[in-house]
Amino acid sequence: MRVIVVLGHVLDPRGIAVNRRAGRVFINRREYILQPADRCALEAALRIKDEMPAEVVVLPRSPLPDDDVLRQALATGADRAVYLAGDGLAAADDAAMARLLAAAVERLGGADLILTGATTLDTGQGQLGLRLAEALGWPHVADAWALKTSDDRLEVVRQEGAGYAVLEAALPVMVTVAPGALEPRYPDGARLINIYRGQGEVAAALETWDAADLVDADALQPLLERRGQEFPPERERGVRASGGLEEMARSAADALRRQVRV
Amino acid sequence: MDASYLDLLMAQQEEVAEAEGGGGGIWVVADLVDGGVAPVTLEAIGAARNLADSLGAYVYGVLLGDGVADLALALYQAGADGVRVADHPALASFAAETYLAVLADLFAAEQPEAVLFGATDMGQQLAARLAQRMGGGLIEHTVALSLDEATRALQASFPVYGGEYFEIAACPQARPQFLTVEPGAFAAPFIDPYRQGSPTMLDVTPLEPAVRRVGEADGFAPPPVPLNRARLIVAAGRQAGDFALVERLAAALGGQVAGDRGARDAGWIESGQVVDLRSATVAPDVYLAVGIRGDTFHNAAIEQARFILAIHPDPQAPIFEVADLGLEADPQQVLPLLLQALE
Amino acid sequence: MDFHFSSEHVALRRMIREFAENEVEPLAAEIDREGRVPFETLKKLGQIGLMGVCFPQEYGGMGAGEMGYCILMEELGRVCTSTATNVGAHIGIGAMSIYLDGTEEQKRKYLTPLARGEKVGAFVLTEADAGSDAAAIRTRAVREGDSWIIDGTKTFNTNGSFAEIVTVLAVTDPTLGARGGITAFIVESDMPGFQVGTHENKMGIRGSSTAELIFEEVRVPQENVLGKVGEGFVSFMKTLDMGRLTLGAACLGGAQAALEWSVRWARTRCQFGAELAHKQEVQWMIANMATEVEALRSLVYRVAWMVDTAQPFTQLAAMCKMYGSEVASRAIDTALQIHGGLGFTRDFPIERAFRDARIAEIFEGTNEVQRIVIASNIFREHGVRIRP
Repeated sequence: MRVIVVLGHVLDPRGIAVNRRAGRVFINRREYILQPADRCALEAALRIKDEMPAEVVVLPRSPLPDDDVLRQALATGADRAVYLAGDGLAAADDAAMARLLAAAVERLGGADLILTGATTLDTGQGQLGLRLAEALGWPHVADAWALKTSDDRLEVVRQEGAGYAVLEAALPVMVTVAPGALEPRYPDGARLINIYRGQGEVAAALETWDAADLVDADALQPLLERRGQEFPPERERGVRASGGLEEMARSAADALRRQVRV
Repeated sequence: MDASYLDLLMAQQEEVAEAEGGGGGIWVVADLVDGGVAPVTLEAIGAARNLADSLGAYVYGVLLGDGVADLALALYQAGADGVRVADHPALASFAAETYLAVLADLFAAEQPEAVLFGATDMGQQLAARLAQRMGGGLIEHTVALSLDEATRALQASFPVYGGEYFEIAACPQARPQFLTVEPGAFAAPFIDPYRQGSPTMLDVTPLEPAVRRVGEADGFAPPPVPLNRARLIVAAGRQAGDFALVERLAAALGGQVAGDRGARDAGWIESGQVVDLRSATVAPDVYLAVGIRGDTFHNAAIEQARFILAIHPDPQAPIFEVADLGLEADPQQVLPLLLQALE
Repeated sequence: MDFHFSSEHVALRRMIREFAENEVEPLAAEIDREGRVPFETLKKLGQIGLMGVCFPQEYGGMGAGEMGYCILMEELGRVCTSTATNVGAHIGIGAMSIYLDGTEEQKRKYLTPLARGEKVGAFVLTEADAGSDAAAIRTRAVREGDSWIIDGTKTFNTNGSFAEIVTVLAVTDPTLGARGGITAFIVESDMPGFQVGTHENKMGIRGSSTAELIFEEVRVPQENVLGKVGEGFVSFMKTLDMGRLTLGAACLGGAQAALEWSVRWARTRCQFGAELAHKQEVQWMIANMATEVEALRSLVYRVAWMVDTAQPFTQLAAMCKMYGSEVASRAIDTALQIHGGLGFTRDFPIERAFRDARIAEIFEGTNEVQRIVIASNIFREHGVRIRP
């Protein structure tokens, strides 16, 4: 069985500070980590590999500054990773990445299962996995909490209202994995050293493909344009709710709804 | 009520007209809850209405389901100029393939400028796949919209790092522009009881679903989240009064129960649930301090919380200094009302 | 000069920090309170390769070198000194002695399971009458055919009570003393005559085990002689040099934690109408602390780099240990002062850190011994041999 995991990087939130008054994001440490939901997707793939013979191949969800997160995935147990490079790739959005990844999947010779995170930690966008499913013409299951595979079928647990339901699909299928669904494992120390030093078997597992060999330049044109940033008003502490008990309860409920979006 | 009065009443009804031959428009695909139109859909129609008026465009609603034709009226009353209804037993519950096929056919014919979905389980799935199928851009979890009049592009704000700040983006080239709208982000529209219209029925050809629901996942429990990673915490203190109410509130909000040292001393919580610089520091999106006085040790431990709501009877309690919203009240009295208001 | 950590080291630190914060820190208070060794943590560390972080992969290690080892010790020292001590005794002196002086066969047989974390190691030297004066040991090993018979009692043995592979120093020729009369042996804990004696009830690092070991006619085969007969003292000094560096790294972690706590507290604690951060006396404390932490960091990683590039480092390792332990003690003492009464309570980690830090000025060679080592190296360059 071949399982492809599509994963990406995100600036470690511990290294950034948002200054609402200045309207700026200060980056104290430019350190990237694996997108947490993608890391859960990788864990789901590795658990399949624990259970049955499977090859886990890793592809990037977005243009990467370097191959660091792919190395992390290899250190954690993935068998193979493909770094995508090329002119014009840097601006690619999810629509372009979905086209590029679909071509990469084809070049890999297809797969039985593709896993990726259901949402990104920073931008909160969940479209990449579903766009890729569409580009491949595959069915999808979104926001999985648990997976079970046999040779040709997949069982997925996903949230349904307050409870959880089991869904079943024939392979191949694309599954997006909810952040926090699985407790991810740590990398293996020796694999980590080898992949960073380019030594041992695992070093050969990291390849670089040129995007131009997969799709033409037009396909990489982004649809999305970034137009700026907005900052919430400066936090005002010490605000008291006014009115009688009922009015206070209503303002509290409204505030909670805004925060939690129940 | 005599017949003449009824005639008079009927005469006030405004029959809504839509554009001839389609073309453009802002479309809203409806989410349904409990047999009605979801609030997020009405909010999306309200947002679409404002933009459409600036663009000189029409607003359309799309209903998919089984026996849903009657719900069209709610969309008209919220501001839709036209409504399309796909009514079929195969649409009774969300089925990606058939829903996508109906919408793709519709939008291929109508060429919308923009299509809005609720940022719901269904909307998120449909919007992404449709956007890819139709070559459109998609901005998810939109909380604010503005218009770039030069390109007629919708500029959407969406939260980054869970709302630390917002990115603004647009998809000015491709049409349709797809958006999912965060529930609660836009005001509910004015409901005009006099608006009405005649929805157009759509053909539905059911497709075999590739993913089948087997049943409930009995016994499945997600991995426990440690307190320091919890997104929502409801914490009790000495003045909480009735701890059962605190637990009910946590359940209603899907949060974790915690407390200060007082709650531990009262036997309400375990040592592992104590929020205090000496025990656990937390960084949730929302922290509810119920009857917690809030000394430095406690308040320093919740410093990273994004929103703090405090309820305490003593107006001088230090917790109010760090809270984003403070309720000077006896928790025992205000919690039942809060629970009610949340329902 | 390049003071950047390579991407390999950044990735390694990320992995170790995550492990330390998720697996080690949550247990730190409990193992201190209960005085128990966190075997479950040691096992997990072994599973991801960290119990052999610095050893070559051909012996089951991770191959991250001394840099990697120092990163491990810093990150463990930041969250739990007891765990850092258990790991340091295992890697830094137990397994290290076999790595530095073992034969190929000994490395295969003993280093490999140690590096994989399948077995725990220890290095035992100290006796009731031989601490800083290590050459004064009385444990004897007498040759009998193809074997050696070891007799004696060792005290203050970190990991001694549960280590399965123990390197022990014994006198093989009383007439020669430290120069030629002391030999190192590899002893397996299931060899007849090996016994665990009294456990020490310590002031700090209570999540580590310190026990008496009794060797009662323990018969050890000739192939378990580590290094050459009579050269055990030299072996031991080499091993200890490495241990001193990594103890300095663990102290760096402890000092770093004290700094982090202090900054957080100074930001939030209000007195006389302003946060402590606005008080000059607190600013000075934090500035001094931060400067010492950075100076120590530079020293520790420079020496690690020297080890990895095979440069002499004995004197600098002694500085790491001596300076590191004193920086940590000072930083934690200052942190306690900044935290006031809170720092004095057992509910806050400073109290534990304060007790834990003190031992670092004593074990692996007291700071007085370190100063002798440093001074004798300095004077030797000027042609002066200082007298003991």
